[in-house]
Amino acid sequence: MKLNENINHVPVGPFHPLLEEAEYFNLTVEGETVVDIDMDIGWMHRGHEFISEQKTFTQSIFLVERICGICSTSHPLACVHAFEDVDNTEIPERAAYIRSLVGELERIHSHLLWLGLAGHFIGYDTLWMWSWKYREPVLQMMEIISGNRNHYGMMRIGGVARDVNPDRINALLPILDMLEKKVNMIVAAAKDDPVLKSRLKGVGVLTKKDAIEMCATGPTSRASGVPGDVRADEPNDAYRWLDFQVIVTENGDVWDKLVIRLLEMLESTKMCRQCLDKLTTAKGPILNDVKEISAGEGIGRYEAPRGEVFHYVRTDGTNRAIRHKVRAPSYVNIPTFKASCKGIPIADALITLASVDPCYCCTERALRVKGEHPNAIDFLKQSRDKTERIRREIHGH
Amino acid sequence: MDRSDRTDDFLKKFKGKIQNVIRKPKRLYFEVNNEDLREIAKYIFHDMGCRLSTATATEVYDAIEVLYQFSHDPSGCYFCPRIRIKDKKNPVMNSITPVVRGAEWIEREMFDFWGVTFLDHPRPERLLAREHPKNLDKPLRFGRIS
Repeated sequence: MKLNENINHVPVGPFHPLLEEAEYFNLTVEGETVVDIDMDIGWMHRGHEFISEQKTFTQSIFLVERICGICSTSHPLACVHAFEDVDNTEIPERAAYIRSLVGELERIHSHLLWLGLAGHFIGYDTLWMWSWKYREPVLQMMEIISGNRNHYGMMRIGGVARDVNPDRINALLPILDMLEKKVNMIVAAAKDDPVLKSRLKGVGVLTKKDAIEMCATGPTSRASGVPGDVRADEPNDAYRWLDFQVIVTENGDVWDKLVIRLLEMLESTKMCRQCLDKLTTAKGPILNDVKEISAGEGIGRYEAPRGEVFHYVRTDGTNRAIRHKVRAPSYVNIPTFKASCKGIPIADALITLASVDPCYCCTERALRVKGEHPNAIDFLKQSRDKTERIRREIHGH
Repeated sequence: MDRSDRTDDFLKKFKGKIQNVIRKPKRLYFEVNNEDLREIAKYIFHDMGCRLSTATATEVYDAIEVLYQFSHDPSGCYFCPRIRIKDKKNPVMNSITPVVRGAEWIEREMFDFWGVTFLDHPRPERLLAREHPKNLDKPLRFGRIS
C-alpha cells in the first residue's frame, strides 16, 4: 500500500477530556483537515444492566440514578416509566407536575453547563463563568425541592418521593424570577454575539439525512431539522398539560445546536413556572401505592437534555426485572461524528466533538500532549486561536 | 391516520410473516422469522419513517431473543420485531445494519455480550469488551441461565 505522506493519525483518548466515559477517537487528518474519524468505546463499562437485574425495582431506580451525574433525573424517570408501562400504572396529578419540574430544572442546569464548556473550548471564558454562575441557583432550587444538589432521589414507581409544599414553592419562586432574567440575559448575549456566531456557524454540519440514518436524538437531531422530542411525541407526566414549544432548526451546525439549547432553556423556565403555579392549587397524593408488577415488558423513555433516554424492562412477576436495557442518548449521538467531523479543520474538531454534549468530567487532562512530542497538537489552543483570529477580524483589534 | 389504523395496516401487510403479537397501548411486540427480518425492518424504518431506539438481547431458557425497538416519533408508538434464536450454541441471525445504519453499534454490542453473530454486518467486531483486561472465553452476558 502506498503511504500518503500528508495523512496523519491523531489519537484522542482513551482518556478524553470531553466525555463522561473514557473514549478513544482516532482522527485521520490530511494537512489541517479531518478526513475520517474512528471511535472505540467500552473503556469504562460498569455493567449497570447486569447489576440492575440483581436488584429489586426500588433498588434499580437508585442504581440507574448513578449512571450519570448530570442526567440524574433522566435515567430514573425513564426507568420508572418503563416499570409503569408494564401495567400501565397511572400517577397522581401532583406527582406528574413535580416530576416535570425536576426534569426541566435539570435541563436548565445541564444546558448551562454545556454552554459554559462550549464557551471555554473556543476561548470565551466569560460565557463559561456567567453560565456556571447562574447554574448555581438551579442547584439551590434542586436542594430546596429534594434536599440534594445532585442525585435527587425523587422518582418512585407510581409517583415521587417528596412533596413540594407551599413553603418550598414560596422559596423557589424568587429564585426562579431571578433565574429567568439571567437566562434571558445569557441567551440574548450569546445569540447576538458576532464572534460566537462567526466561530460556530457552518462548523461540524450534520445533515438531516445523516441524522435520520444514524438515529440521532435530542438537540443533535433537532438542529438538523428532525422534529423528535419525547416530551411532545409521547407526552407523559405533566407534559400532557404544559404549554411549550419544541425548538427545531435546519442547518445542523454547532451554532444551531447552541441556539436550540439556548431557546430550550427559555422554554424550560416557562414550564417550571407553569408547574409551580399548578402545584400551588393541585391537591392530592404524590404516590400511588404499587404493590407488585406483573410479568410483561415495558418501555420507558424521557427527553433528557442530550436526547432520548431509553429503558426497557422485562419482568416475570417477581420483585426484580429479568432484563433491564439502558440506552443513553450519547450512545446514538456519538456515531454522528462520522458524518459531522469529516472535512472540518482540526481547530474545529474539539467544539464539534463537544457539540453533542457528551458529559465532561475530566476536561483538562488528556490534552497535555503538547511539548512531549514534536508533532503533538494542542486542540484547545488551536480552537481558541481560531476564535481570536475571528474576533480580530470583526472588531479590528 | 390514527395509531390503531397504522398498527392494523402493518399487521395486515405482513400477515403470515409475524407471529405471537402482543398489543398494548402505543406498543406492538411481535415475532418474525430471521429471513423476513430485514424486509420488515426496512419497511418500518424507511417506509413508515420510524427511528431505531435500540435493540435488546435476552437469554431465556430455550433461546436467545433479540428485540429491536423502533420508535414512530409522530405517534409515540413502538414497533418491536423479535427474533428467537433457538441454537444457543451457535447463535446466528441476519444483521439489519445494511438497511438501518444506526443499528451498527447495538448489533456489535450484542455480538460482544451475547455472542450473536450478525450476518452481513459491515464491521463484525467487539464494541465494549474489545480491550477487556481478561481473555474472555465466552461472551460476558451469555450462559447466566443453565
